[in-house]
Amino acid sequence: MDELILKLKREIIDVLNLEEVSPEDIATDAPLFGEGLGLDSIDALELIVLMEKNYGIKLKDPTQGRDLFKSIRVMAEYIRENRTK
Amino acid sequence: MNDVYILAAQHISSQTPLCEDWMDAPRLYDDAYVRAIDPDYKRYFAPNTARRLGRILKRALLTSQQVMQTSAVNLPDAVITATGGGCMENTEVFLNALTPEQGELLSPTCFMQSTHNTIGSLIAIETQCKGYNSTYSHKGISFECALLDAFLQLENGEADTVLLGAHDELTSNYFRLLCRTGYLGLSPGSFGGETALALMLSGTPCPQALCRVRGVEICFGMDPQAIRRTLEDFLQRIPCDSGEIDAVMLGVNNREANDRVYADWCPVLFPGQRFLRYKHLFGESYTAPALGCYAAAVCLHRQRIPAHLCSGDAPMGEPRHILLYNCFEHKNHSFILLSSCGK
Amino acid sequence: MNRVFITGAGIISALGVNKTEVLESLRKHRSGIAPLIYLNTLHRGIPAGEVKRSNREMMQMLGMPPEEITTRTSLLGMIAVDEALQQAGLETDAGMRLALVSGTTVGGMDMSEQYYKDFLENDTRNAYIATHDCGACTEMIANRTGMFSMLDTISTACSSAANAIMLGAKLILHQRADAVVAGGCECITRFHLNGFNSFLILDGEACKPFDEHRAGLNLGEGAAYVVLESGESLRRRNREPLCRLSGWGNACDAFHQTASSPRGEGAVLSMTKALASASLSPSEISYVNAHGTGTQNNDLSEGIALERVFGKVPPVSSTKSFTGHTTSAAGGVEAVISLLALQHNFIPVNLNFSSPMKELSFRPSTHDIPAFPLRHILSNSFGFGGNNTSLIFSKAEDS
Repeated sequence: MDELILKLKREIIDVLNLEEVSPEDIATDAPLFGEGLGLDSIDALELIVLMEKNYGIKLKDPTQGRDLFKSIRVMAEYIRENRTK
Repeated sequence: MNDVYILAAQHISSQTPLCEDWMDAPRLYDDAYVRAIDPDYKRYFAPNTARRLGRILKRALLTSQQVMQTSAVNLPDAVITATGGGCMENTEVFLNALTPEQGELLSPTCFMQSTHNTIGSLIAIETQCKGYNSTYSHKGISFECALLDAFLQLENGEADTVLLGAHDELTSNYFRLLCRTGYLGLSPGSFGGETALALMLSGTPCPQALCRVRGVEICFGMDPQAIRRTLEDFLQRIPCDSGEIDAVMLGVNNREANDRVYADWCPVLFPGQRFLRYKHLFGESYTAPALGCYAAAVCLHRQRIPAHLCSGDAPMGEPRHILLYNCFEHKNHSFILLSSCGK
Repeated sequence: MNRVFITGAGIISALGVNKTEVLESLRKHRSGIAPLIYLNTLHRGIPAGEVKRSNREMMQMLGMPPEEITTRTSLLGMIAVDEALQQAGLETDAGMRLALVSGTTVGGMDMSEQYYKDFLENDTRNAYIATHDCGACTEMIANRTGMFSMLDTISTACSSAANAIMLGAKLILHQRADAVVAGGCECITRFHLNGFNSFLILDGEACKPFDEHRAGLNLGEGAAYVVLESGESLRRRNREPLCRLSGWGNACDAFHQTASSPRGEGAVLSMTKALASASLSPSEISYVNAHGTGTQNNDLSEGIALERVFGKVPPVSSTKSFTGHTTSAAGGVEAVISLLALQHNFIPVNLNFSSPMKELSFRPSTHDIPAFPLRHILSNSFGFGGNNTSLIFSKAEDS
């Protein structure tokens, strides 16, 4: 699980172009949107693409993302249970 | 009818950015492909603002912000943008991902930033300008199309201030592709470049204005006589006697394919005139004429034309009127007349 | 008062290849939305408003040799411009200053996305490198007739054609041209189909504008142009106008690169400016042809803006339920549809509507109203990045 969390942090930094942010800066349980990293709706769409591309998880409803992207831990747990690749 | 003034201008190009160093210390290049010299954007933008912006967007935003600062116009009435090629870098990322192997799974950010109007809308969002906003993309006269729209609005008072931008980037892939079409190429003294220019235009005179824009005209066609009639009508409408013009600035770039039409037509269009050039400093790009307009504006403001801009004899005395003629692929033509403010 | 007349119009869309076919489809409530078949994509089968002609078939319609280098967007443009010029009787008029102002965003992307690998790796498709940009598309359309002495291309995403028409009006008023052919063209490409898909705003079924259960847009394609002329030019040529372009307004939402503001700020501004330039009060508008894409965000934001501008909202419909969202061409397609509505006194219906949106006090027009006397129509076109434009079309006698 820790390995997946670290990998996910790196992927998010890369795909969202979070220059000057390192995996250690992202708290595993902190909210990704609003406060915390300050991500927005476009970032949510990028994360949906990431989920499909890297883990084979298809989200069709953008509102589903809202619950899923609460924190890195919530995301990682969902990936662990639902990944197809 | 209001007079139209250029209040301020800022560029990021192959010359030292955000300054007028090119007047006395021009950078000259031997390469065929020269990217713009980017300032350190970290000095200007917060990381969260900059992270999603491609290079062309950073340049557009910074030149716009700088020109607003130097002109002290905090909220322009309109934002008008020119780009011939748009956001090539993001378009390429998207095109590369569009292969069947990739499963057509694409990044929304790249798509959002691939449309031409993303430049103008970013500027509007960052400046909170809810006024008129439009984007022109017509090959090598994109800038003049945008300037024409701005000019018409300023002339009749629809807008009092217009933030006008001209932005084109050139990726290494696109440089190669445009060499294949013959637009760019490997000729000595000529290079493919990038343009980022912001101008603040106003319909109200102001002491620190760079110059006046007296008129702008675009036309399409291949008949030199028709183009000559367009030029005559243009000057008559302003009105300006061709004898008053100190110099004509041309879009020559040291490439046969581009320059032939100037060589053939200039004696007919501008008999007895002295000529200036700018692409040896700023390179060729769809919106390069914006940098020609900028260079001419600075010359009129400083009341001198540096020798390195002159083809042949330098114009005598202090310049008061500079005419710009741009001809793209022999078909798309434009004329702009700039005059100094002092009279 | 603004005096810009419309003397010709041409259209090609999922509803047909000319005005007669489009009019018939609209009046018979026959949608052009169908599973994608012409575009070669992994998303084949999803509903879209494709023009039901292959490139080859369109080249035949235009009498072009099959080997000619062209793009689907410019073929669509040529067909619509031909029809517009013909109706205005401009084919044989010499000595006029005639301008073409065209809006497009994808330009020659249909070929670029097919041949991009060739562009990079070999010399077999070089001709299509030069047809990629937006201006190239306008030039190919212009080269067909050889009549234009001024060309201009606007690219503001989904409001491109509306802005082209607006600029056309300004060129007429400033006497920069005697007549202007203005509108836009856009074919469906994998590029923007996938782009819209990455935003999760494509409905997997026929789109349902202004419905509580709307689930996104259907992409469409097409081209449409109007011929704009001054009164003086009309008298000189002894022509009767079809209608008048009486108002225009352009504003920027300045809110978000892809989303509209919750209160429809930019939409309120563009509609208010258009009404002011036409010297009309909101109550004088007989029908609004909405932008109405069918996305959650647009229809709510536009709906609130309509309520803010009109109070009591006049009949409204989104004809994107017939044509799909023709993106850069939409402002032109909806201008010609508005013109047909004015001429034939009918309100195009809004298809696929069943439940009203709970946030709005109005519902779109879904049934034919016999002999509805239309006088002024307002048409909205809103683009990504908040590039909003509203146009008003009026009966010629309402001058």
